Amino acid sequence: MAPPSDASQPRLAAGCRWGGTEEDRVILFPEGAIKLQGTGRQVLERCDGTRTFGEIIGELQKQFGQADPAKIRADITAFLEQLQKKRIVDY
Amino acid sequence: MVSNPLALIAEVTHRCPLHCVYCSNPMQLAGTASELSTAEWTSVFQQCGKLGMLHAHFTGGEPLARTDLTELIAAARAAGLYTNLITSGIGLNEQRLQALVDAGLDHIQISFQDSREEAANWIAGAKAHAHKIELSRAIRKHKIAFTVNLVVHRQNLDHLEEMIAFIEQLNPERVEIAHTQYYGWALANRSALLPTHAQLEKAVAIVADAEKRLAGRIRIDSVVPDYYAKYPKACMGGWGQKLMLINPAGRVLPCHAAEVLPGLSFENVREKSLEWIWRESSSFQRFRGEDWMPEPCRSCERRTEDFGGCRCQAFLLAGNDMVTDPACSLAPAHSIVESAVREANADAEVARPATGSSFVQLQKLSADLWSYRTNPE
Repeated sequence: MAPPSDASQPRLAAGCRWGGTEEDRVILFPEGAIKLQGTGRQVLERCDGTRTFGEIIGELQKQFGQADPAKIRADITAFLEQLQKKRIVDY
Repeated sequence: MVSNPLALIAEVTHRCPLHCVYCSNPMQLAGTASELSTAEWTSVFQQCGKLGMLHAHFTGGEPLARTDLTELIAAARAAGLYTNLITSGIGLNEQRLQALVDAGLDHIQISFQDSREEAANWIAGAKAHAHKIELSRAIRKHKIAFTVNLVVHRQNLDHLEEMIAFIEQLNPERVEIAHTQYYGWALANRSALLPTHAQLEKAVAIVADAEKRLAGRIRIDSVVPDYYAKYPKACMGGWGQKLMLINPAGRVLPCHAAEVLPGLSFENVREKSLEWIWRESSSFQRFRGEDWMPEPCRSCERRTEDFGGCRCQAFLLAGNDMVTDPACSLAPAHSIVESAVREANADAEVARPATGSSFVQLQKLSADLWSYRTNPE
């Protein structure tokens, strides 16, 4: 599978959803759950099927102004590709 | 102090319309009259939620044999659990599926016995294959996760490639390629099910190839069968470490097969709370941690990874639940597994139905080959 394009709209895959508590949010999926904190959580909370991948990148580049924008893009791309392979995210 | 369990395996009934020869249910099935009521299961799910458990896996027998399954799924979901239905699909039509989805079903897992209808029905001892295909199409109309489970063994491994191609067309997100585990009915039928070394080697290559080809589309989970592995499986992630299983009659077990173990008595949710059973009961503490371990496990660096293997397998094969799992190449009783493997390879001729024969003939043929799972009273 190719990495997400800027126009794609990343979202949780079928049967994957948020769970846990507000402080301890997890993504529940068939084989288990992943605890999400920090930037991982910020990325996935934006994967709502409405925002485009380009918009998600833009928002986070703005929020983390001090970090290298190219590195932010590369990290988020790798993160979503990995979750797509696990069939937790679609784009 | 032990951490909280992660998931519940809810064996809601042992009744089943299929008679799969590889079934891992105990030979001693729980009777219908002893089954927990809707209210009792609801209380169980609420306790699971309070314990911080995340998943409820509905299995059996066939969970759909319970007329209150929709209520049970709703109760588990209301308690905050992720709900997974492990089913043959028999007893499910589009209307009932819709009701389950509306009740909060997150994930459905359907097993296929083979890609070829005749063979699939022969292994299941029931005409189920065509219905499963039909149902798979209905499932894809809903936004729930869909896994196809393929139980593989001596009788179907030779056309694994064809089975994977068949499953691709059903379009699940996940495929679980599960080598038969030898407990219950499968252990009784082991000689007809244990694959040859050549079959296994070929299967490993086919799975690796499919994983690459289907990456991003279908996730494949597959495990090498422990009879052919160097080290034993980390059964249930360790005794009393992650999972609780509740059988149809309410007995709480650390794993599917634990009731075969001698000298252990299991608590019932009708009498004790789940939390007490998890933390305090002698059955859950019996093999928890490392204190019980014999050599070579005790001084083995892998003891924190595989926990000495499976206690039930140690008992079933070596007659002693206190020894290293005979599947381990380092186990003193490993020769038991070696001799089963030797036997499986000595006779490479795989007994199987003649092509083109009818279902009725297949059943006749199979009568000599294996025994079908029966139903509880």
